[in-house]
Amino acid sequence: MARLSQQYRVKQSLRLLGIALLMIAFSVSARGVYQSDEAFLNEAFNNEVPRSKVVWNKGELRQAISTILGHDYAGLRIRYWKDNNRSSWILEEIGKEKPITFGVIISDGKVEQVKVLAFRESRGDEIRHPAFTRQFEQAELESNQLNRQVDGISGATMSVRAMTVVVTLALYLAESISTE
Amino acid sequence: MNRKMRVLHRTMGAVIAIFVLLLAVTGVMLNHTSDFELDKRYLTWDWLLSHYGVGTVEPDVVYLLDQSAISQFGSQVFIDASPVVNSQTAILGGVVIDNLMVLATESELLLFTHEGEFIEKMSASAGVPPLIQNIGLFHGEPVLQTRNGMWRSDFLLDQWEAISLQGVGWSQPEPMPDNVEKALAEYFHGRGISIERFVLDLHNGRILGNVGVWFIDIIAGLLIVISLTGIWMWLRRVS
Repeated sequence: MARLSQQYRVKQSLRLLGIALLMIAFSVSARGVYQSDEAFLNEAFNNEVPRSKVVWNKGELRQAISTILGHDYAGLRIRYWKDNNRSSWILEEIGKEKPITFGVIISDGKVEQVKVLAFRESRGDEIRHPAFTRQFEQAELESNQLNRQVDGISGATMSVRAMTVVVTLALYLAESISTE
Repeated sequence: MNRKMRVLHRTMGAVIAIFVLLLAVTGVMLNHTSDFELDKRYLTWDWLLSHYGVGTVEPDVVYLLDQSAISQFGSQVFIDASPVVNSQTAILGGVVIDNLMVLATESELLLFTHEGEFIEKMSASAGVPPLIQNIGLFHGEPVLQTRNGMWRSDFLLDQWEAISLQGVGWSQPEPMPDNVEKALAEYFHGRGISIERFVLDLHNGRILGNVGVWFIDIIAGLLIVISLTGIWMWLRRVS
């Protein structure tokens, strides 16, 4: 009887250890570079990437960018790639503690595509799934805000916020360069 | 017996007099910390900072660009004593082009204004060749040495041509200037050791670590003994 109980305890311990290892594996797997910046641009412009240009982050633009992000943008200029009415932006925003790299394509003032290129947080990477990013497609800017409500993801609130502000920022920046 | 006690009393009195003075003076100072603002005044003597282990800073690498010291501590990049940007990869060199300070890591160029304001990171997506090993200047133009050869660009840094050049002035690490090291030590460790902390450590002996604490304990023990011998002699005299 005692031997049976001991075997049960050993099995139970191994099972718990397995679950713990699985949890660690999942938390580690959230981090990663899913697509390089160059691959994203090649895909966006069908392997004919235009020469990059820059927007200078100063004056009124700087204030508007700070309002959208909720903090100052780290950098005096923001690089983009533009071909006719399509522009592509690679932007970073902190999720909870670490920067998430997003690739956003804006076409005729609307979101064509948003992708997570690199995710460095331990959790919250569900935002990279197409089922989530699809919500942003065709979104437009209205009074410097998205013209639609984005459904959140439980446990990924900060990552969702990061993606929302980055898409808003990309729309705003695309609008600011549309007169060029 | 009384004579022996008097000799013991005198001898111990002479030995611990200096420490009684030290304890009394530091005790009075600690009683009036706020009045003397001892918690707001700092000591920056080199030997003291070194004794407390806050005197030195050890950057991963230092480059001198245009009167500024660029240093990296882990992922944090500093220009002089100001943190400016995070870089997950090591800085391999830096050059000054027109009014730009350009630092190179293996995969990116980090651009700063002459005043040290961060401009942007440029990577392969902005046309910068990957696998950078060093950055240098050739007749004022930026040159990159990469694992795939040598590349030259202009001040825009977004178009690079493969080239083979002799006599490029490559960036090289330098020692940290003393004034920047001092400023960085202040950034990392504060303004120095507060007088309150110093006096408190003198009072309780911690200035000498655990040995100092035991030493003060012994002095306290001697004080107890000298008090008892004093009381003994006084009682004898009274009776």
